[in-house]
Amino acid sequence: MNLNSPWLRGATVAASLALGAVIWEVTGRYTSDAFWAPLSATLSSLREVAVNGVLLRQAMSSFQLYIAGLALAVVVGAPFGMLLARVRWLRVALEDYVLMLYSTPMVALIPFLLSMMGFGFAPKVLVVFLFAVFPVLYNTIEGARSIKPELIEVAQSFRSGEWQLWRDVMIPYTLSFTMTGVRQAIARGLVGMVAAEFFLSPSGLGQMIMMGSQNFDTAGMLAAILLIVLLGVGLMDLGRALEKRFAVWRGYNP
Amino acid sequence: MKAPNTPPRIRIAAAGKRYQQHQIFENVDLTVGEREVVAIIGPSGCGKTTLLRCIDGLIPLTQGEILIEGSPMLAPRAGVAMVFQHFGLFPWKTVHDNVAYGLKLSGISKAEINERVPHFVKLVGLSGFEKYYPYQISGGMQQRCGLARALATEPRVLLMDEPFGAVDAQTREILQFELLRIWEDTPTTMVFVTHSIEEAVLMGDRIVVLKGRPSSVHEVVEVDLPRPRDRATLLLPHFAELREHVWGTLMADARQAEFDVIKNN
Repeated sequence: MNLNSPWLRGATVAASLALGAVIWEVTGRYTSDAFWAPLSATLSSLREVAVNGVLLRQAMSSFQLYIAGLALAVVVGAPFGMLLARVRWLRVALEDYVLMLYSTPMVALIPFLLSMMGFGFAPKVLVVFLFAVFPVLYNTIEGARSIKPELIEVAQSFRSGEWQLWRDVMIPYTLSFTMTGVRQAIARGLVGMVAAEFFLSPSGLGQMIMMGSQNFDTAGMLAAILLIVLLGVGLMDLGRALEKRFAVWRGYNP
Repeated sequence: MKAPNTPPRIRIAAAGKRYQQHQIFENVDLTVGEREVVAIIGPSGCGKTTLLRCIDGLIPLTQGEILIEGSPMLAPRAGVAMVFQHFGLFPWKTVHDNVAYGLKLSGISKAEINERVPHFVKLVGLSGFEKYYPYQISGGMQQRCGLARALATEPRVLLMDEPFGAVDAQTREILQFELLRIWEDTPTTMVFVTHSIEEAVLMGDRIVVLKGRPSSVHEVVEVDLPRPRDRATLLLPHFAELREHVWGTLMADARQAEFDVIKNN
């Protein structure tokens, strides 16, 4: 089968999704409602919460949390990463911490944050931030370090000062690598969002999942999960588009 | 018109460079006048590129001094521009923005930059490619862009670091003649580092042969070929004589030098 044809490709994807939907529907009908609900019931539950306004309210609550945490991660991670890449002693001193925290499952820190900061909005944002910041930071450091010394020499030859070096060379070069980190942060931030809503005070889409589960409203729970899945897919696409936008020039190997 | 006591464009006196235990070159004396092209040639690793970086003020000497227009080169300075072997274009900038780079750093207004850049883009034959990124154009075109970036700052000293060393043979020839044409239009002081004997003879008014370990000026060859030079220059009997002479100087103990490298390492 020639999958290079866009038509055939699209048809294959559509068939696969349709089959998945059928399997979901059929298995749902022959399983206890306590474990699993058919797709049709999930969708009608989704419609119900959409109509009565619960969905919008919960989704907005989640979204606020997510955007606040993610934005903080980018605003802190990118400049700090560039600083670490350029100031050698700072990097040597802090690199191991970055690597340690990057590989730590952040969920493990949640009980600690809970006892430190309680149940408010701030600790939840902090959780999303902690999930999202390390990919941004790590990719920025690696990117900024990979800049060719030749290009820095060119800048010096043209009498670039330090801040001009940042404006013309360091930032535009590193940004494309930072965006790779942002793409990863978009995905990890979503995990952080749900984790924060589960383990700190329940709210948003996480609360919808939990309530569905506790009330044996399997369709309601699946509706919230489905929404998060779709949100994730959409955000990943957005991340890839962002990354591509900042790496137009990377077809080049200087 | 010139005042009798005007200092030479470039004066290099007893210059030496040492990295830790390793003396790269020593006792280099050289004076380069206005409108003069000096080609520096020597075997790989003889320090000709290092010397050029010292002239640009990118790295400091450890002995002696380098004066441009009478004042010592301690850091890169306006009026001195370098063209790099590896082109050194910023891959995220378009041709236009790369050419504009030096002007932008000199604090020239955007309007004036946009007025000046097209002239230099045209001078190197890149009109129509202003919006291209480096990865979209050939190596030869990239080096044209690198040349335009240096020329746009209207340098009084142009430093060329094996500028055509990374392009293919045919492109190299085309670019050599283009450079000669551009130089004829606005003759400036040029120091041209190369490892091609033919290129040194074609470009230079004088050829400085660097040799030895540590290297020093082994011979200075006067190139009394008429200007303007073009393809016909290559056919002159005197061109061949000069080429053979430099070849003889450079290759006399090339085999010995090659074996010295192994011993030193």
